[in-house]
Amino acid sequence: MYNIYYTENSQLNEFADRLTSKFKVFSAAVRPANFTKETDYSYKTLDKSESIVFNPYRAVEPLKSFFTHPQEKASEYFVPDEKIIPLGKTVIFGVKSCDIAGHKIQDFVFLEGVEVDSLYRIKRENTIFVSSDCTDFKQVCHCLAWDILPHPTWGFDLNLSPLNDGFVVEVGSARGEELVKGYKEYFIPAKDTQISGCRQKRENLISKLKKHLLPQNLVRKDSVQRLMKDGYSLDTWQQFMLTCVECGGCNFICDTCHCFLLADKKKQPQNLKVKVWDSCQYANYARVAGGANPLKMRAQRLRFRFTKKFDFFVDNLGIPACCGCGRCIEVCPGKIDLREVLKDLAKKLKG
Amino acid sequence: MNNIYRPTEAVLEDIILESPTIKTFIIRPKEPFEFKTGQFIELTLPGIGEAPFTPSSDPNIKDKIDVTIMNVGRVTSLLHNSTKNISLGIRGPYGKGYPLDKFEGKDILVVGGGVGLAPLRSLLFSLFAQLDRYNKVVLRYGARTPTDIIYKDSIPQWAKKKKVDIVTTVDVGEPGWKGNVGLVTTILKDMPVDLKKAISIVCGPPIMMKFVTLKLLELGFAPKDIYLSMEKNMSCGLGKCGHCRLGRYYTCKDGPVFTYEELKDIHDIWD
Repeated sequence: MYNIYYTENSQLNEFADRLTSKFKVFSAAVRPANFTKETDYSYKTLDKSESIVFNPYRAVEPLKSFFTHPQEKASEYFVPDEKIIPLGKTVIFGVKSCDIAGHKIQDFVFLEGVEVDSLYRIKRENTIFVSSDCTDFKQVCHCLAWDILPHPTWGFDLNLSPLNDGFVVEVGSARGEELVKGYKEYFIPAKDTQISGCRQKRENLISKLKKHLLPQNLVRKDSVQRLMKDGYSLDTWQQFMLTCVECGGCNFICDTCHCFLLADKKKQPQNLKVKVWDSCQYANYARVAGGANPLKMRAQRLRFRFTKKFDFFVDNLGIPACCGCGRCIEVCPGKIDLREVLKDLAKKLKG
Repeated sequence: MNNIYRPTEAVLEDIILESPTIKTFIIRPKEPFEFKTGQFIELTLPGIGEAPFTPSSDPNIKDKIDVTIMNVGRVTSLLHNSTKNISLGIRGPYGKGYPLDKFEGKDILVVGGGVGLAPLRSLLFSLFAQLDRYNKVVLRYGARTPTDIIYKDSIPQWAKKKKVDIVTTVDVGEPGWKGNVGLVTTILKDMPVDLKKAISIVCGPPIMMKFVTLKLLELGFAPKDIYLSMEKNMSCGLGKCGHCRLGRYYTCKDGPVFTYEELKDIHDIWD
């Protein structure tokens, strides 16, 4: 068990400011107002002397955007020594519980299995998460449906819980502990009243979120795999795909989606392997060379996306690959709502 | 740093014409490269693209790899139009091969369709190398027309081996063809195999694998004794890129060889 500290707003800003000389520091920033009326937050580089903006809920971008990119070099080949560009250390403020939960899937894919993706591993080892409790939620937020709390309980290096004019700072890893020790002038041991104070705030938000979710009547976490198996032939897939424009947005914005194509590029004098994000909602996703395509229809592809999340990952990792962040719901121009798809399956199977 | 996406350089040493649409490419890797029969590789045309193939050569030959390829897509057509001595890249080997240990003492029925005989040739070479370990090897092979039959010169040689029984057929005959005419399922009867100790291995186009599997089940083969080579669009080969998912499996790392027992509850496996 690590210690719990307290830091004042001004101290946190000084701490972050000091970090900028040693790390690349990211923090949330308010995005220009959009049509949803909700304030959106986006990660941006924290410049020197700039104050940390506390985001009450998750940012627009998924956490994976720090580790994989729409297009990135995977290898230079047929050159004697492949150069590895040394990566700087990064600190990310504003990571939320759903981000951490969703990112577990990326870690599982790229750090485990038959081989480790070493480029991903290097990035992961060089990135420090300073997460924080949610103090509010978006309309689409539904982490609790997947038994994920709106405050991180694991997977962070430091976690900030806002209280009065400062934060209770939980340490979640040896790296986090080291960071606090390196800047100990900004942290004092938290008092019990402060710890219980932020516990109360957490409880309050959970009950507020529960109240928000209750009328939505969401499906239960332990029922989704069955829905996939029993609902395979239902017309839900046809109905919900009608408005799909095959943009792939749901995949690219998802913190659990990880598909990519390994493509080749000629860049004199060497050749490159490039990882390019791919979407299972694209018509050619599963096409083989002879032209056969097991996912010809949009309905098949929508079902493929869901069975990957709610069947494949339950079998292979023991959890569904959804963290309830609702990003796919917000991004979809066709207004396809993951919650509604699951509810429709449940309703039809019951009736 | 071990980069899992980096291919090893290989030289395309020779190209053999097998049929109007199929060629065998003989490649010599510049670094040691070993594979087990049934495992696949990713073959790169430098700077252009890569595609997955299962080698068709004897895994006991360590310095060269044969890959028999049908001209069907972008990478394969460029390969078909290339000349020898060019550089290629190879990654792998990937997946689980054929579990030869489980075949010991068995009657081994090998059913191939079209270019599906390519991976099976590698398997046959492995079986032939240690024929005393197995009870017998029975090959049933179907091609579209006599011209489409691959390894035309080798098949009669293999048939001369003791403990080896081979029958071929074509869907449509040609003038002068004296052999069987009919789908491969038509030559899956009265086979010299003892079902009590037989296993079967099938490789070919999905539609052929489907009907052969149904026929084998009808003959009494247990689902766990039918080994299928699944064709998917493996891109990374390592269970990371997502493309070749088949139910709860990735074809690349959990296959490409599966028993029908493993697949029978998964929807649409033949699509």
